[in-house]
Amino acid sequence: MRVELGSACSSLMACYQGLVRVLKNGSELAPFERRNTLKAVAALWQVVNGLDLDPGHLYEIGA
Amino acid sequence: MKESPYWNPRHETMPRDQIEALQLRKLKNLVAWTEARVPWQAKRLKAAGVTSESIKSLRDLQRIPLMTRDEWMEAQLQQPPYGPLLAAPESAAIRYHLTSGTTGRIPLQVLDSMKDWEWIAEMWCYGFWGFGVRPPDIVFFAFSYGTFVGFWGAHYACEKIGCLVLPGGNMTTEARVKQILTMKATVVCSTPTYALRMAQEAKSMGVDLAGSAVKRLILSGEPAGSIPATKRLIEEEWGAKAADTAGMTEVGTIMVFECEKQPGGTHIIEDHYIEEVVDPETGQPVGYGELGERLITSFGRGFIPVLRYRTRDLVVRVPASGCTCGRTFDLYEGGIRGRVDDMKLVRGTNVYPRAVESIVREFKEIDEFRIHLYTADGRQDEIEVLIEIPEADATNADRIIVELGKSLSQAHEGLRFGVKKVENGSLPRFELKAKRLQDDRIGIGTAGEPRLTARRPRCASSWAVRAPR
Repeated sequence: MRVELGSACSSLMACYQGLVRVLKNGSELAPFERRNTLKAVAALWQVVNGLDLDPGHLYEIGA
Repeated sequence: MKESPYWNPRHETMPRDQIEALQLRKLKNLVAWTEARVPWQAKRLKAAGVTSESIKSLRDLQRIPLMTRDEWMEAQLQQPPYGPLLAAPESAAIRYHLTSGTTGRIPLQVLDSMKDWEWIAEMWCYGFWGFGVRPPDIVFFAFSYGTFVGFWGAHYACEKIGCLVLPGGNMTTEARVKQILTMKATVVCSTPTYALRMAQEAKSMGVDLAGSAVKRLILSGEPAGSIPATKRLIEEEWGAKAADTAGMTEVGTIMVFECEKQPGGTHIIEDHYIEEVVDPETGQPVGYGELGERLITSFGRGFIPVLRYRTRDLVVRVPASGCTCGRTFDLYEGGIRGRVDDMKLVRGTNVYPRAVESIVREFKEIDEFRIHLYTADGRQDEIEVLIEIPEADATNADRIIVELGKSLSQAHEGLRFGVKKVENGSLPRFELKAKRLQDDRIGIGTAGEPRLTARRPRCASSWAVRAPR
């Protein structure tokens, strides 16, 4: 049932996963980098969720 | 590429078996999340023998215990301020909101994280986009921007869509009307009651709203957005199309919206919620076309998992085929029909405020009204409707009083309604949820309320108010 991702959606998914990874590991991020990335991840979560890709929750990274 | 009329085209047009498969997967995830993160909920699930692994089909939903507002309130009182309902640390929250206080002893208090707050706006996007709101639109919010969540999510939805947002908090009604005109707003968001209030104000200012740039109204907060007579009046006064939506603080956002085809009902956002309709007394499911209480299970706000929550809202669910928009999301015909607790028993006859409103609104001359219940001579329940008729001469006012009394009586099995004209401006006006029913009875005749089943019609058509045309 899950959607076959086209190239644009695959890029969005990869972007989301990449940003989450950065937030989990990037302790050296400056405040402006971390907070803006959190906002971006919170928005991208809606896309991944809308693609039925079970994005989970983001509370542990602050989103 | 042609622009989609749907916010999420794939989900909104998904065949029913796929919607149900999606819901089942999300339900399993939600139960697993709840078991792992909310011991208070986990205990209730365990007591009912429910685990995420045991959920094999949507029928298993019925094994999950119902949750009531009273339980939520009690949990908050025992462990203030949020109760043992949070699935994430308070430090992850960025928003705090309260219920509006129209039901219950204490307001419910809720928290949202950044992701949940985005999701709240996302739900409103289904509604705004579905009703034709687009980036060039200029959207005015007649909303007080306080702790009541109300249109907060709608505001951010419009920013997300790319509209120009006009936040109309802390303004007089006159100032709001002026800003709508001067900024050439194309969309206005308010409660149905307040849409009429602004129309009254515009008239007194000598403004023709129907000639303004406003093309759409998005209504929320009261059942009146789907009462045909009220909606028709709003659309006439504004010269614009009006769409009903309904939400609740317990999930933070809307769960139903009316699409551009205006089918006389609201689509359920079924990829983010499971909505069930049950008999409010037995808790047993009722079928399509039958009046019942809606239960909600939400997949959105992870901070406070909501499973089979009793909303007390009365609805009639019908299949998606009741609308021609192409969505496969089922509908609530006539939107939210009222509240289980709304019904009043007057000398053996059930009276619903919504039903009374639908009749009163047939009389365009009536600006404002109030339903008043009282005990006459210390022994008999009486009901009267107080009305303001600003522009009627004495003869016309007398005619309205007689005709309204007759219509109300005919629609309520001959129950006698008093109708009284009161001084213009003497009745309260409302910006948020209107409270037009005042019950001053001393107890006689109220025993047993709420009592729904005795006269509860079993199908949508018979539920509809038998108002004379």
